[in-house]
Amino acid sequence: MSGDPQHEPRGKNGRAPDVLRVGGWMPMREYPQNEAVDFAIVGTGAGGGTLACRLAEKGFKVIAFDAGAWWRPLEEFASDESHQKKLFWTDERLCDGEDPIKLGNNNSGKAVGGSMVHFAMVSLRFRPEWFKSRSILGYGADWPIDWREMWRYYRIVENALKISGPVTYPWGPKRGRYPYRAHELNAAAMVLARGAEEMGIAWSPTPLSTLSAPRGLAHPCAYRGFCVSGCSTNAKQSTLNVWIPRAVKAGAEIRDLAMVGRVAVNEAGLCTGVDYFREGRWQFQRAKHVVVAGYAIETPRLLLLSANGRFPEGLANSSGLVGKNFMVQSNQAVWGLMDEEIRAYKGPPSLAITEHWNYADKGKDFFGGYAYMSQGPLPVVWTLTQTKRGLWGEALLKEMQHYNHQVGLKMVGETLPQERNCITLADEKDAYGLPIARVTHAYCDNDRRLIEHALDFMGKALDAGGAKDIWRETDDTCHLNGSARMGSDPRTSVVNADGRSWDIPNLWICDGSVFPTVGGVNPSLTIQAIACRTADRIGVLAARGEL
Amino acid sequence: MTNNRMRWAGIACILAGVAATAAVMERPQQRRLCKRARQVHIETSRAFNRSSALLAGSVLADSAMEHYRGSFSNPVMYVPPLVATFSILAGLHGGADRHAQTHTVRHAIYWGAALTGLAGTGFHVYNVMKRPGGWNWNNLFYAAPMGAPTALLLSGALGAAAERLRNQPARAPRLLGMPAGRALGLLSGIGLAGTAAEAWLLHFRGSFQHKAMYAPVSIPPAASALLLHAALTSPQPRWLARVMLRMTWLVGWLGLAFHVRGVARHHGGWRNWSQNLFNGPPVPAPPSFAAMALAGLAALRLREREPR
Ligand SMILES: Cc1cc2nc3c(=O)[nH]c(=O)nc-3n(C[C@H](O)[C@H](O)[C@H](O)COP(=O)(O)OP(=O)(O)OC[C@H]3O[C@@H](n4cnc5c(N)ncnc54)[C@H](O)[C@@H]3O)c2cc1C
Ligand code: SF4
Repeated sequence: MSGDPQHEPRGKNGRAPDVLRVGGWMPMREYPQNEAVDFAIVGTGAGGGTLACRLAEKGFKVIAFDAGAWWRPLEEFASDESHQKKLFWTDERLCDGEDPIKLGNNNSGKAVGGSMVHFAMVSLRFRPEWFKSRSILGYGADWPIDWREMWRYYRIVENALKISGPVTYPWGPKRGRYPYRAHELNAAAMVLARGAEEMGIAWSPTPLSTLSAPRGLAHPCAYRGFCVSGCSTNAKQSTLNVWIPRAVKAGAEIRDLAMVGRVAVNEAGLCTGVDYFREGRWQFQRAKHVVVAGYAIETPRLLLLSANGRFPEGLANSSGLVGKNFMVQSNQAVWGLMDEEIRAYKGPPSLAITEHWNYADKGKDFFGGYAYMSQGPLPVVWTLTQTKRGLWGEALLKEMQHYNHQVGLKMVGETLPQERNCITLADEKDAYGLPIARVTHAYCDNDRRLIEHALDFMGKALDAGGAKDIWRETDDTCHLNGSARMGSDPRTSVVNADGRSWDIPNLWICDGSVFPTVGGVNPSLTIQAIACRTADRIGVLAARGEL
Repeated sequence: MTNNRMRWAGIACILAGVAATAAVMERPQQRRLCKRARQVHIETSRAFNRSSALLAGSVLADSAMEHYRGSFSNPVMYVPPLVATFSILAGLHGGADRHAQTHTVRHAIYWGAALTGLAGTGFHVYNVMKRPGGWNWNNLFYAAPMGAPTALLLSGALGAAAERLRNQPARAPRLLGMPAGRALGLLSGIGLAGTAAEAWLLHFRGSFQHKAMYAPVSIPPAASALLLHAALTSPQPRWLARVMLRMTWLVGWLGLAFHVRGVARHHGGWRNWSQNLFNGPPVPAPPSFAAMALAGLAALRLREREPR
């Protein structure tokens, strides 16, 4: 082991940490700052990390920057929720609006590998109709990509991550078999299953990005349930231990602890590189293309921060839509108690799922859909959930004694894109001296109806599953998307289907911000599929001389 | 968890395994002697006794571990390891016994094992059916396994067949109203196919992540098919069946080695044996192929010598 990864960069001196071996290193190519690399990518998460890998594998010269540290899971991930806060993006941000969201552990990560380092591994495909939700379903906006093409890329990502999923999936068009078999269900998942069967709807083991059998040096899942605090066995297949090692092997350079503060643009209106802060000073890397992949808050923030005389409203912003149409997903839950011990924290948190209300269109008084999953909150998160409910002192103590018996169902619900939900710059500055992001959020009536429907249905299903003393957690959100949407019209979108900005041809966006709509499933599989597609498109454009 | 109890259970399992293996090892010196002095059907009986013991060894280790994992939550969960132990003892005894006569106690033990296996299968089916989803893949993978109690049933059946064969005349012995070679060929052929089916289910669960995982779902089924063919067609030398059965025997022992290595691939490896023995591939399972191969080879030997 070497030094403190939060203070001393690890991707240096021609080598990178080999996260699959204790104390291991692997050679890494390094590019000089004054050489214009083909692609400078800001962010190494689901979007940036995947893209860096696929571009490097196509032979492009790539540098990917991440503000976060390059962790070694086998050595540095403790079974301690508080300690593992080190994975989250906790830099200052302002949240306002009618329904201000809470930022921190449930939304965004700051590490090489991005939020996937501590994501819950739920790996779902969009419902095909959602790619044309405006024209087919009558709400939101159409994607400029056909679902069949996306399904091809989903397959590629599922294979890359060796997703463990059910032999047959109950919803949507037929899909190929998941590369690994689904995991054993824990008692909490059984409650969801029993409830669903009682309610007469389908349920399924959740397709998860954690190994149900060994894979190379990565161990299979040990069912300890620490997933959202970072997986110390490498069973979780993430950007950190799949895409990034592949990227490095293919010749990409990853610069950790490197915060990009500005994308530089010349007189001709083209990007020339990025300004970044690393090892105590601001530095400049030249690049022929810049890809912003900082997730739905940091991406628009960086585009706005990079405003200059030529683009006073921020980069790629001729539509005025940078930062607009920011979407969360509703993440409300119902909780209850079972007579028998459940110990819901055993195993990955969301082992069973129903997507019934994503695919059913009848019996709804709202647009959009939602999935709900079984839950396994760790003690600290569970305590916070209880204090949010107003419990304290004796009452809290009493409630916590039921920890081993509690069981719950949590939704991932679609919210509609609204221009008033947006990311803007605040006056306050962060540690780097850069204006911080202001996140404005409010639900619309449709969102509220969807949430009410979900809470009502989940309550009944939990009751049918055998739980008692059921109560609702009404105010959680998860997953950040939108804020730099893709589309087929420069007036109503920021980038095209390839993630290329309409305004600056060598500026690209590749992360959750390009989503025109969010659907009712967790987004990272879609983000990675888009990244793979973007890489292929870049390959095609380069071959045609259209880069 | 009491570590001590675990350790004793572990040691007991290992001892039982070693004893079973030692018992079934054929000593060539002795064999040649036997060939001259004894009748072939007694040799076959003894091979079946040994095979039954080895299979029971697998069952003992497996059921002791798995039911320990299930905290012996139902007292009947003590029964299979106990019965398997008796089955091993009977097999050891029968393997050394050259008498041309059914041994009543052994015979009774074998029937007990077979019935326990049958009841166990019933329990396990019930366990699968009462879970949400019922007869679905996830339950077949992770609920009480079908294959385990059937192995006990099979061990009992092999032993009982051995005992009944001893009472038959040396010339043209018969079982279940057919030539003994045919009956035993069918029994071991079907048993082998069942064992392979279980390996397929569990290796499918493991997504065939290692190439070697294809071996037990290709070689033993081929051996089983050839053996069944030999049993059903007119008797004659079947070298290919013999080769495949010997390879099946090898698959069993190599499988053991692969499973030992498979445990090491779990987080913490063998240093964390008290957890990884349960999470990893079942170490005692593959030798059941060796057991079935032993039975199959003995049945084939008998079959090849039966009158046309
Ligand atoms: C607790 C939790 C559970 C989740 N569970 C699931 C799940 O089960 N399934 C699912 O599909 N999704 C899940 N998600 C969401 C998923 O992780 C994200 O949607 C996905 O990782 C977003 O990908 P991204 O590339 O847009 O951003 P990220 O993966 O967040 O990557 C962005 C990276 O960019 C870096 N960065 C940002 N700005 C800069 C800058 N200016 N300079 C340098 N670096 C920068 C950040 O440090 C970060 O590492 C979960 C998220 C959380 C927080
Ligand atoms: S439960 Fe599995 S995926 Fe989650 S942290 Fe543990 S080993 Fe990793």
